[in-house]
Amino acid sequence: MTAPEIPQLREPANLVCPRARWLWLAGGVGEAVLLAALQVGWWFIDQRGSRTPHIIVAVVLGVLALAYLVVMPIWRYRVHRWEVTSSAVYTQTGWISQERRIAPLSRVQTVDLTRGPIAQLLRLATVRVTTASAAGHLVVHGLDQDEAAALVERLTAAAAAERGDAT
Amino acid sequence: MSDGIPPILAGDPQWRRLDARMLLVHPVQEAVRFLPALLVVFLSGRSSDRSQWWDLGILAIIVVLGIMRWVTTRYRIWGGQIELRQGLVNRRLLTTPADRVRTVDVTAPIWHRALGLARVEIGTAGGGLGAHRIVLDALAAPVAAQLRGELLHRVATADGPADVPADAPDSPDAEPRVSVGPAVDEPEEVLVRLDPAWVRYAPLTTSGLVSAAAIWGVSAQYIGQVDELKDRVEGAVDRVAALGVGVAALAGFLSALIAVSVLAVSGYVLTYWGFRLTRHTGGTLHISRGLITARATSLEERRIRGVEIGQPLGLRLAGAARLSAATSGLGQEGARSGSDWLTPPAPAEVVDRTAVEVVGDEVAVRGPLLSHGPAARRRRFTRAILPAAVLCAATLLLTRATDDLPTALVVAGCLPLLASPWLAADRYAALGHALTPRHLVVRSGTFDRRRVVLAREGVIGVTIRESFFQRRAGLATVTATTAVGRQHYDAIDVPAELSTGLAADLLPGPFAELLDAEHVPQPSSSDRA
Repeated sequence: MTAPEIPQLREPANLVCPRARWLWLAGGVGEAVLLAALQVGWWFIDQRGSRTPHIIVAVVLGVLALAYLVVMPIWRYRVHRWEVTSSAVYTQTGWISQERRIAPLSRVQTVDLTRGPIAQLLRLATVRVTTASAAGHLVVHGLDQDEAAALVERLTAAAAAERGDAT
Repeated sequence: MSDGIPPILAGDPQWRRLDARMLLVHPVQEAVRFLPALLVVFLSGRSSDRSQWWDLGILAIIVVLGIMRWVTTRYRIWGGQIELRQGLVNRRLLTTPADRVRTVDVTAPIWHRALGLARVEIGTAGGGLGAHRIVLDALAAPVAAQLRGELLHRVATADGPADVPADAPDSPDAEPRVSVGPAVDEPEEVLVRLDPAWVRYAPLTTSGLVSAAAIWGVSAQYIGQVDELKDRVEGAVDRVAALGVGVAALAGFLSALIAVSVLAVSGYVLTYWGFRLTRHTGGTLHISRGLITARATSLEERRIRGVEIGQPLGLRLAGAARLSAATSGLGQEGARSGSDWLTPPAPAEVVDRTAVEVVGDEVAVRGPLLSHGPAARRRRFTRAILPAAVLCAATLLLTRATDDLPTALVVAGCLPLLASPWLAADRYAALGHALTPRHLVVRSGTFDRRRVVLAREGVIGVTIRESFFQRRAGLATVTATTAVGRQHYDAIDVPAELSTGLAADLLPGPFAELLDAEHVPQPSSSDRA
């Protein structure tokens, strides 16, 4: 079955906006704060004398959280890419687990643009492309607002030209 | 149409109500739903008059709501649109083009049948998102049968002349008992007919276990509320327990086994009695089944994008399987209620034959699959053995820490480790995929093995996913997304040298621009055409 030369799928052409790293960092900080809150809760609920386990857990979690906050946004920024070719939308997302999604332009049904509060501060936007499959949506995180608007416009035009959704 | 039922599709701009007999059905249905609660109140005799009135008051409100539902619901099928108007406070209007109809489900639960009524559910394209089913609960059975015929006739001629001939395929004056089934004069080809001997497969499915658990849950709740019953049950448990642990366990196991089997068999009979899968000249598949609740489902054959051959472990060991259709218009709830079943649990040979009939691709259904190679095999073994080994080690450590751990617990903790090599080997044996000119075939699973045959033209996207460990092992999971059935079908742990090619063959057009080397595509039928 193996062809003499195995074709490789190339990466999508475009990186997302560099400011997206701050968006991911903010998300990570949110998770870390939640963990810290749990830790504090445990400190007050636990009535026994010894505080050693608390300190051990806090140090371990703290180191892990710090590593996560440093590594994750950079790693994600290297992985997250997107491209619109003449016939398809192509995205690559993830960091430890990675995912590449390809959907033909002719199958695009809706195009959403969302901006959370932090994304608005950073002038970023997320574009979500859906197809007729509930499992087939593509998401491009952390695009520059203007770039995202242009992308939405382009995809909407493609979706409007679409006929038939394979249902 | 001799008995004065006017054709529904052919230009009737009048808004119609649901059948007035539903005014009888709703209160009865609601009362039955409240029966256990009322019974407990009655039996226990503890509750004050006030709370009894409270229950009756709720019942009355529900009945009134049911009546309001009937009064405010109207529908019409006119100008190529199906329109449903509902609600008093929140008025809403559901509209869908008649040519988007993919499936029609006609159901007659027991109360409906007694009164000659049937519930019609119309599934339209894009059903995967769930909100696209139009439910008419209920119409007179002849009207329902006629409506189904007209909608599907419309579907069958959607590409041809738009006018609908007056002779709807279903005869409206069939007797209520069979009226949700196909009419006798319609040309049809029977693909599957239930063989009563297939009931032997019922205890091998999990359906008995599920209903036993449900009954256990409900009865435990009510037994707990009624003191006298509780005492009796506890007395019985004590008497059995007095015979010794071994005997009690054996008795419990045997009675559970018998109860579950009986439930499974009766469930099978209730669900599948009279099962028939027929193909109609209009291009539809028609499924009718059910002992007490009669169901008839019609699927537009052109829209069936594939089939799924399901082999849960029990069925597989007995050489049996079941078949369901991958089609749009059934939605998540439709698939859950079994509207997409093409066969009951039946011998694998029957299932394979039916699958070939439906998809028309012998190689895809029966042909060999490409196995996923040594890396995928290693991954199956690590994933099966590692957690089992950790569990076993944890139990052993626990035994050393606390001296008096029962031996049974240690055995239970280490049993999975003994079974895991078999599990891994079996899971690897299941893994495979294949491409035929028209279909993608994927298979996986041990406890719930599934072989899916999916039309390549129904694939509307591809996802290639690599976890950290998959990437290190040179594997990837290739997912074909689609608008039908489960919405996505996965080829798990495909070796890297095959995964890109497989993805590229599924979407040849888009991939042509994305590959860095020349890929010789495996032709699909549309390429050759």
